[in-house]
Amino acid sequence: MNPTGIVSLVSAAILAGAASPVLAQNASHDIRIVLPEQPANLEPCGSIMTNVGQVLNQNITESLTVIDAKTGKAMPKLFTEWKQVDPTTWHFKVREGVKFHDGSDLNAKAVAFSIERMTGGKLTCNNMAKFGNAKLTVKPLDDYTVEIKSDRPQPILPTLLSVVMVVSPKTPVDKAVNNPVGTGPFKLTTFSTQTVVLDPFDGYWGKKPVVTKATYVWRQESSIRAAMVETGEADLTPSIAIQDATNPKTDFAYLNSETTAIRIDMDQAPLNDVRIRKALNLAIDWEGLAQLFGDDIQRASQMVVPGIIGHDDGLEPWKYDEAEAKKLIAAAKADGVKVDTEIKLIGRNGIYPNGAEAMEAMMTMWQAAGLNVKLVMLDVADWTRYLQKPFPAERGATLVQMMHDNNKGDAAFTIPIFYRSSGQYSSLSDPAVDKEIDTAMAATGEAREDGFKKIFRQMRTEIVPDIPMFHMLGYTRVGNRLNWKPDITTNSEIPLANIQFKN
Amino acid sequence: MLHYLGRRASYSVISILGLLTLVFFLTRLTGDPSALYLPLDSTPEARAAFAHLNGLDQPIYIQFWNYLADLLRLDFGESMRQHRSALEVALEAFPQTLKLAFVAMLLSLTLAIVVGSMAAARPRGLFDRIATVVSLAGASAPDFWVAIVAILVFAVGLGVLPTSGTGGWEFWVMPVFVLMLRPFGLLVQVVRGTMLSSLASPYIKTARAKGLARHTVVFGHALRNSLLPVITVAGDLSTGLINGAVIVESVFGWPGIGKLMIDSIIQRDFAVVQSTILVTATAIFILNILIDLLYAVLDPRVRY
Repeated sequence: MNPTGIVSLVSAAILAGAASPVLAQNASHDIRIVLPEQPANLEPCGSIMTNVGQVLNQNITESLTVIDAKTGKAMPKLFTEWKQVDPTTWHFKVREGVKFHDGSDLNAKAVAFSIERMTGGKLTCNNMAKFGNAKLTVKPLDDYTVEIKSDRPQPILPTLLSVVMVVSPKTPVDKAVNNPVGTGPFKLTTFSTQTVVLDPFDGYWGKKPVVTKATYVWRQESSIRAAMVETGEADLTPSIAIQDATNPKTDFAYLNSETTAIRIDMDQAPLNDVRIRKALNLAIDWEGLAQLFGDDIQRASQMVVPGIIGHDDGLEPWKYDEAEAKKLIAAAKADGVKVDTEIKLIGRNGIYPNGAEAMEAMMTMWQAAGLNVKLVMLDVADWTRYLQKPFPAERGATLVQMMHDNNKGDAAFTIPIFYRSSGQYSSLSDPAVDKEIDTAMAATGEAREDGFKKIFRQMRTEIVPDIPMFHMLGYTRVGNRLNWKPDITTNSEIPLANIQFKN
Repeated sequence: MLHYLGRRASYSVISILGLLTLVFFLTRLTGDPSALYLPLDSTPEARAAFAHLNGLDQPIYIQFWNYLADLLRLDFGESMRQHRSALEVALEAFPQTLKLAFVAMLLSLTLAIVVGSMAAARPRGLFDRIATVVSLAGASAPDFWVAIVAILVFAVGLGVLPTSGTGGWEFWVMPVFVLMLRPFGLLVQVVRGTMLSSLASPYIKTARAKGLARHTVVFGHALRNSLLPVITVAGDLSTGLINGAVIVESVFGWPGIGKLMIDSIIQRDFAVVQSTILVTATAIFILNILIDLLYAVLDPRVRY
């Protein structure tokens, strides 16, 4: 064979070898999802972690309730209906005819087992963070009715139960597992260092999904993940960087549930003067800053995104007014406030794309307004010391870069943490505010919503304990053969049952 | 020989124990893992429970004592992140790195010996100049950049190779190519330099005077005497690859030990950090012993 022939043969072999996986994938309803990182484990109790939840939630394991992305209200899933008997007691009906992947029946006892496994303290359970210190007592009343009592009023217990992933009663109580057995439409087939494979569960109680097999792989580099979808090696990848979202036909921007902000340390001078805190908000050229995050970014006026119960749609974000900011600083200075005191802006490396650039820009704008702001970028562990109580004693005046994720439908997952005296991230200590928060937390319906709105308004207009920045966007690349779009829940789950094919 | 091997092995065990002790205390200096393992809004009670479950609430000397006792039972601890044996996690990843490093080094060494020898055979000739430019470019090019460009060209542009992952031979092409660039570039320069020195030696002049063929003189006589420095440099480069080709593993999604080690350090998965270091340190000690033995094979004057 002459050299040209050999080259042709080798090229043909390479093309055939490379093309075969793509062709095989197109011919079926098997899909391949490429995630930004390897799931640390597959323990359902830790499914609020993005890399675990995107594989498990509503695929292998299902929750007791789900949150409606539009209204923020709890909707039925494995609990079909519920009623509040008294402020600390709820009764729930368990869905009948549901089986676990191991053949066990879902009933009241199985639900009690899952809740007790999560709350029992015998294993590290990240999902418990949503319950705070609440103590729950679960009692089956009959085969399909559960009574849940809490040690304090829980008006949004159905919402809280959306983080309880129900597992088979045969699951170990005191040991985290990597082979979860749930009631979802898919069961785990493989979990290795390179892949997770899910196959359909024939005994699923709901509608049979169109997807016939799901294979998850992971690549850290956003550009590689985007390329994998472009070449057909994968069908879908969440969380690509804005610079890789270059194809309007396949790349979807969606408002995720994250809000970026700067927390102001209200204990420390000169930040304990409200004029300085207002000036910090006014001194930022918000339109200019938004360019770092893409055209569709939304300005935030409060710490939760629209759609969350308690979000005040009428609350205006701060406008850019450098002259007004300078005026407020000058007024404070005239009253003896030491406005030239150094203020440390504590940033966190890699907190979100272009996060460091945003901090540099904001520092420059604050300096231009007359404040002595210095940027300190830290890794997550050091940054956490400034974010969470107890704050470092010798910290001085600090501004802390942060990003808050509330996709649970209710501002109860935000307000107490940021604004109550006991809140982990709160630098505010005001008994009157605490009382308002407690009242809103104990209320239901409209009173609850209005209570939260009032607190957000008070924070925005009177107290100013933070600098809300933007409601963040996520970018997801979806391959041409899929008929699916991401939404606010995509950061926490990618339900395979919702994925359809164009052909 | 056996005496030598025994002495080297005992030194290695002492060194590894010292290394593990150092790593144990250094990892604990990085801070509290609960800051990374638990959600930011976890309660202090949840953090305390996490510390208790993982034995992190005990004084550091008690933790160290427990670690040593577990080591004696060959229990290397459990990964806090993956909820399984840390040694199992490390041993799963290591062969992936070893295979990649072996293929990349074998190809680099073979090609470098051929190219370096041919370049030295006609110094300042056209081939020598081309080889020098290519090898210097290979040694200097940032592997991250080369990897991304290779994916853009061969996977996205031409569509002839997969972007990343593991599987058939086609998945090996780009990672091996990127990984061998630097060793190839450096080794070509080393081979060329040592060959130039050997080719100027009196015994080569004698061989030529005897009328031996050119390739016999270059590859049969000069090359063998030039190999010791090449082996030394190749050994050093292999050590680097065994430690993990972090960039290549990250970009191409290769589940090797380098990326595992870095991820474990960032995530404060102490048991996995210790296990990966144990595995790579052991491999490096074995590699060094093999290189010493290779010296004796190549140079009869070296005896142990």
